[in-house]
Amino acid sequence: MVEQMISIDTQAINTDARDLSNLAPAETALEIRNLDLKYGDKQALFDVSMLIPKNQVTAFIGPSGCGKSTLLRCINRMNDLVDHCHITGEILLQGQNIYDKSVDVAALRRNVGMVFQRPNPFPKSIYENVVYGLRLQGINDRRKLDEACERSLRGAAIWDEVKDRLHDNAFGLSGGQQQRLVIARAIAIEPEVLLLDEPTSALDPISTLTIEELISELKAKYTVVIVTHNMQQAARVSDQTAFMYMGELVEYADTNTIFTTPKERRTEDYITGRYG
Amino acid sequence: MNKWFKSGSPWIWMTGGAVSLSLIAVLGLLLLIAWRGLSYFWPAEVYEWQLRDSSGSESTLIGQLYDREQVPTARLESAGYEFNPYPGEFVTRYLVKTGNREFVGLDFRWVLGTDIVSESLPKDLAVFERTKNGNFYGYPVAVIEDGKRLPADNLRVMLKEHVQRAVDLNDDAMTLQKQDIGSINYELERLRLKERGYELDGELTDTRKTELELARQALNDEYKVLETELFALREAAGRDGVVVRDMRGQEVTLNLSQVLDVTYPNDMGLMTKVGHWFKSVGGFIIDDPREANTEGGVFPAIFGTVFMVMLMAVIVTPFGVIAAIYLHEYAKKGPVTKMIRIAVINLAGVPSIVYGVFGLGFFVYMLGGSLDQLFYPEALPAPTFGSPGVIWSALTLAILTLPVVIVSTEEGLSRIPSAVRQGSLALGATKAETLWRIVIPMASPAIMTGLILAVARAAGEVAPLMLVGVVKLAPTLPIDMNFPFVHLERKFMHLGFHIYDVGFQSPNVEAARPLVYATSFLLVTVIVALNLTAISVRNHLREKFRSLEH
Repeated sequence: MVEQMISIDTQAINTDARDLSNLAPAETALEIRNLDLKYGDKQALFDVSMLIPKNQVTAFIGPSGCGKSTLLRCINRMNDLVDHCHITGEILLQGQNIYDKSVDVAALRRNVGMVFQRPNPFPKSIYENVVYGLRLQGINDRRKLDEACERSLRGAAIWDEVKDRLHDNAFGLSGGQQQRLVIARAIAIEPEVLLLDEPTSALDPISTLTIEELISELKAKYTVVIVTHNMQQAARVSDQTAFMYMGELVEYADTNTIFTTPKERRTEDYITGRYG
Repeated sequence: MNKWFKSGSPWIWMTGGAVSLSLIAVLGLLLLIAWRGLSYFWPAEVYEWQLRDSSGSESTLIGQLYDREQVPTARLESAGYEFNPYPGEFVTRYLVKTGNREFVGLDFRWVLGTDIVSESLPKDLAVFERTKNGNFYGYPVAVIEDGKRLPADNLRVMLKEHVQRAVDLNDDAMTLQKQDIGSINYELERLRLKERGYELDGELTDTRKTELELARQALNDEYKVLETELFALREAAGRDGVVVRDMRGQEVTLNLSQVLDVTYPNDMGLMTKVGHWFKSVGGFIIDDPREANTEGGVFPAIFGTVFMVMLMAVIVTPFGVIAAIYLHEYAKKGPVTKMIRIAVINLAGVPSIVYGVFGLGFFVYMLGGSLDQLFYPEALPAPTFGSPGVIWSALTLAILTLPVVIVSTEEGLSRIPSAVRQGSLALGATKAETLWRIVIPMASPAIMTGLILAVARAAGEVAPLMLVGVVKLAPTLPIDMNFPFVHLERKFMHLGFHIYDVGFQSPNVEAARPLVYATSFLLVTVIVALNLTAISVRNHLREKFRSLEH
């Protein structure tokens, strides 16, 4: 299994190894600095620092409970919804610390879109699902909404499947279609960063493949950060991979490097299936 | 045996049995009140009996059979009856409605089966339904038109025409009195209040006085014209009469202005009877009550019940939903919130009469009294809002049903998947926007469930209403054609109270008993109709938001 995975990996990724600890500001989408997170007394993230490059796909991998989803949810401040969650450190988006008191959380979330593990369409029509974020911004001009709807659905590679039933209930779609609809909904408001939290874990293999293809297309316009359990998936879609373990960022490098020549013992053990 | 227990069969039988018992109880109840209530409107045969009592005196009895029962002979003998020959251990006793209340005192009479010599069903026997003194039974002999006895050929057709004429004229008179004259009286009252208002403000100048006087004069003139018209109509309606031979063999003249309908039940085919039944049921639903509620219809009570319940629903829904949203979405989770929630749930267990007392003290006297002092000082000392009325009843029941709405709304809110909320928040919505656009629409089926329970409870409450607004007879409906059209301060009639009043406060218990069943059946029907409406709305909403099911 590991050999197969590695063969995919070496074929798919040909980017030159870069120094991820020293990116130019123009290439950086996000900078995480010394992030600590505690749920009550229990510390979930230990001093995480990393640079996430623009218009690339970055994957977080690691065993269950390692903190990868928690880290992802820090980026659009979804952890604010959790009681007794205490965060120190900084996350810089366009040079601005998103945990600064002056930051408007709603505005931040418009800039950092998120797609969840299970498809979560709203109980509305497909059309209304896609334009939900725009309506929130007070855009009600029919022509603008129609345009944005078509653009987003095309962007999420689902336009051809739903263009004749835009006003049907979104629950009529299959799981894979729902997940792409949710992606369309997220990109309708044109965020800079798109967070994907195990986006294919509830889907069948064919839908998974469609979504993976979509992710590779999305990076042309957006910076994509993806959490995944599936190492093959990380190898297939991502440009760089971060391996996390017990709340620590163990290793962060080009996907190529991580899967072929990991520096850390723990990384190697994980990707060769010795634990996790 | 042990195996049988383990198989779970006894458990299934027990649970199934409980369900069956409940079902039988509900259906049995409905069947009983439906049968007893609806059969009342069936045109029963009118018998003519020849009676000979134990002392040998003979008499004729005309009437409708209402009930029969078996009485032990020994008991009758000890009460002074003598039987010759001995009739057996039991004697059948019949309850007969004899009508003709002004001549026989009571219009119900018990007759012993042993006294009956013969019975017949003469086709000529007529039932006169009257506005006063209940039914009259007898043989029509002749029609009197304008004091002259008309020749008696084709009597039935002639009688029918004359009765119809009188009924039409009476209807016209009633419309004139209720609508035209009613609104003039209403205007006069408003003028009086206006004058009093000016007087209280010290602004009653001479010019205003003359203005008011002129307006009043105009209304009075109008009133006089209408009054003459009304008297003319009434006199015209009272022109004719009918001569009837009653069971004593005497000829009695009935004025046709008091007769509503003449029927010959013994001469009716099945179809005619069915038609008559539907007519009577319709009349029961759309007519006003007569004779201390023991005759006529119950329309004001139906209207009052539905109006009050709807008013309550309009008040309780937004209140309950808002309270539930605060409790569930915004209040900090802690002991205080928990206490408040427990208190709310316990409110549902407070006896309803306590709410009635509270409503009377707080709403009627305090709130209504203050409203009167502030906005209706000109009507004082007569209260406007400071006396029981439909708005106070609706408010009292709204408080009574508030816990139900809060609890089920909270339940609905907690069932909405957090993934959907987070999906909305992740798109840049604030918490309030998420609530308005996603959460509340998705919780709407649960809100409707709360409303259904609230309506079911409120429509059946009587006790608190007796304190805060229900009356035996309300002369006007809460909605009419006089400005401002909706009169929330008025007292109203209610089906539940009507049942109590007819059944237990009526001077004529025997006559009222079928009405109790009929009204009960109607009350159940009204509640079921209200609930079915709400349930269909809820099902529609559920269909729309069925994401919750997976």
